[in-house]
Amino acid sequence: MIAFLGLALVAVVQTPVQGFDHFQHKALFPSCTSCHAGAARKDASLWPEPASCAACHDGTIEKTVVWRPRSTARRTNLRFDHLQHATAATNQPGTCAGCHTEVGQPRMVVRGPVVQRCLDCHGVRVAHLAAPDSACSTCHVALVRATALTRRDVADFPAPPSHAAANFLSRGGHGAVTRVTVEKSCATCHAREFCYQCHAGTAPPRAVAWLSSDPRSTAIAARAAPASHGDNFADRHGHEAASSTTRCAGCHVRADCLECHRPNAASGAGYHPDGFLSRHPAAAYARETSCSDCHNVGAFCTSCHTRAGLVAEGVLRSGYHDTRQFFLAGHGQAARQGLESCASCHAERDCLPCHSAVGGRRFNPHGPGFDPGRLRRKNFEMCTVCHGAGVPQR
Amino acid sequence: MKRILLAGLVIASPLSAQGYRLRLDTRFQAIGYRGLELDSIAVTDTVAGPSGGPATPDGFAVRCPSGAPYCLFFRPGSVRHGAPFVATGDLALWGLGVQGVSVHATARAAVDFTGADALPGTDPALQLINGYVEYSTERATARAGRQQTMNRLGTIGFDGAGLTVRDGRRGLEASLYGGWGLARGVALPVTSPALNPIDDFQPARRQLLLGAAAGWAGRQGDIRVDYLREVDPRSDYFVSERVGAAAVVRPAPAWSLTGGADYDLAAGWWGSAEATVGYTVRSVAASVGARRYRPHFDLWTIWGAFSPVPYQAIQAQVAVHAMPRVQLRARGERYRFDDAEVETPLVDVEQSGWRGELGATASPAPAWTFDAGYHREFGPGAASVGTRASVTYAPEGPYAVTLHGASLDRPLELRFSESVLHLYGIDARVEPRQGLRFELGAVRYAEDRRRPDPAAIDWGQWRVTLRAILAIGSGEDLQRLPPARRRMPGGRAAR
Repeated sequence: MIAFLGLALVAVVQTPVQGFDHFQHKALFPSCTSCHAGAARKDASLWPEPASCAACHDGTIEKTVVWRPRSTARRTNLRFDHLQHATAATNQPGTCAGCHTEVGQPRMVVRGPVVQRCLDCHGVRVAHLAAPDSACSTCHVALVRATALTRRDVADFPAPPSHAAANFLSRGGHGAVTRVTVEKSCATCHAREFCYQCHAGTAPPRAVAWLSSDPRSTAIAARAAPASHGDNFADRHGHEAASSTTRCAGCHVRADCLECHRPNAASGAGYHPDGFLSRHPAAAYARETSCSDCHNVGAFCTSCHTRAGLVAEGVLRSGYHDTRQFFLAGHGQAARQGLESCASCHAERDCLPCHSAVGGRRFNPHGPGFDPGRLRRKNFEMCTVCHGAGVPQR
Repeated sequence: MKRILLAGLVIASPLSAQGYRLRLDTRFQAIGYRGLELDSIAVTDTVAGPSGGPATPDGFAVRCPSGAPYCLFFRPGSVRHGAPFVATGDLALWGLGVQGVSVHATARAAVDFTGADALPGTDPALQLINGYVEYSTERATARAGRQQTMNRLGTIGFDGAGLTVRDGRRGLEASLYGGWGLARGVALPVTSPALNPIDDFQPARRQLLLGAAAGWAGRQGDIRVDYLREVDPRSDYFVSERVGAAAVVRPAPAWSLTGGADYDLAAGWWGSAEATVGYTVRSVAASVGARRYRPHFDLWTIWGAFSPVPYQAIQAQVAVHAMPRVQLRARGERYRFDDAEVETPLVDVEQSGWRGELGATASPAPAWTFDAGYHREFGPGAASVGTRASVTYAPEGPYAVTLHGASLDRPLELRFSESVLHLYGIDARVEPRQGLRFELGAVRYAEDRRRPDPAAIDWGQWRVTLRAILAIGSGEDLQRLPPARRRMPGGRAAR
């Protein structure tokens, strides 16, 4: 969760703005503090007086230059202070160049500070965004204290690699981090409103309450779908949801699931594509997906087929299967392959006149995989429907 | 006494709940379609049809039960009209005075204004989908009331209680739940008359349900095992007993291996199973996998004794962003049923099948989305081939409009019902203010049923749908969000 740390540094500090060509003026200025006295003295300004530029850039000696030092607070979330660093680093010669000049470059080829240089001095031996969670607050203040940052600045915070981990959205991912370092790392880039984008509609986790409030934090969208939510995810989400339902709960509430898993009578197209009503026989016969996860055969399939006239009520209307002259005599394969489709129009009693052991034609309906002993133990009553009291013991 | 006071506090405190969210979703649909009606004719009045089989003098193919003096056939019925109206309320309350306590309820009221109940789901008129009290801490979550829990074995509904304990640092979690079960696929008990319109073997009492689960979630993967048993309290016999497992493994960035399987302990056979390898990066999402499907039947029916056979399938799908604003998709599956072990010399049905789909989505401008697709499938019982296309205009304003159309060819294997369908419609959405959304949809099914006899009924129909969603609430989470995030309950975008 260190994550949050880096964001600001890259976005704000690492942007070198060098309007002034230092190298061109190297002969004029023997030291950095001759212009930037505030970097070493508390009572001085960090910036030179505009008049000192105009001494040469007067339109005669050199072309006129209009420059004024910054009068507003810098848009940063750094806790960096030149004077403090100058004092603390007195035993390190060349302090200014150490941060503002690349190794091997001549004097006065300056740039904004290199982030890695900060990390090196502070003992963080990894890349900026990979720094440990506790390191963020070394250089950065919490977002709520970085008052000069705009929403745009916050939106541009880079996400650290840890946020791309597959389990980051889970309780064991970012949840575990927040329980430990929410104030030192998460707070660098985030505030309470950011969390509420997902953790809403119920009592928020304790870690959320630890964060301060800052509306700018929603400039970072928390609800970007994870990479796994690609195309056709609606068809594939079952595995992911079944293996760890708490992972889904980070962004979804149960009502989201019930939209499809418990559809209502007036639902329009949703999970199914347009025209699925006409296409559903093909999808249902071979169960493209498990229909019964969302639809009860009795309450949904059969009742609708009943109203459309597609149901057997006491007599076998085999005329429905009219492309097979002898369908009734040879329906076994179709039944074992598509039994759920059969049950969407037929009741068990339609089968009993032939498939009963106590009457009728006594055709044995049991097929591959049938384990009579196990079923007899698990539900003896079911056996008696066809066998009466004389259920075979083998 | 303390417990009583605590219970009273919990019950009374909703009145002063610090946070609540209420979402009302009302939908209305108007439909009209022509169904079938059974008719009969004396055997002596039938004539020979074009295929040599018996038919009515006006051309309807008939079926004559052996030894019966009459024959049966279907003729077009009258047009049935339906106007279902369904209102769903989704309520959450928290901040009840006890940290971690919240109340959740989802209920549905339905009525068909025509009184015909032309679409399923309007009976009974009131349904409680969810309704439970939850107490949640970092280590545990307890719930009591009507719940729907989702796992490898499906969406399991019950009236009872459940407890989940977890070790967040190690990613471990275990759950135990139980109570009186609901029927599969619906929030009604199995004793509800609405469940069984042909009323065979319907249980007199609700089943007792007990479930347990254990799982681990980590950086490299997740795994969860579920056990569920349902018992008929009247006879003490099992209604169902199953165990299932699901897992996800993430061996490397962008790669995942997902899979799962369930075993029917009551029937003694494997149910459904899947294994899929997925690869997802910014521009490509692809997966290849194998799966097996076998339906599950509760033991209060005798369907399981008919030995449904499973099928095995291999499948693959890929979606590619060929250009920044264009996505191409393809998917396919081939499956084959296990041997049914029946001898049917007179009737032979397909034993294998396949499905395929191609699609493309383009967004040439931020407000415009064009989508098109082609699908084809062939298998036991039925086949279909179709195309579809849509155009969506969704500017940054509060509205969006979609025009869509599709065509479908639908030959059936066991019935003369080959038909060509054309479908076209419009969907529109407008959000006049935060938390309020209206939707309108209209679709026309125009079917040309190519039967060789007069039973080629006109099934063409209009379906018109109206929907209104109102979301209100209070709570710190909602108040501090910017307006764009406050539109829906939980701060979520429109759904």
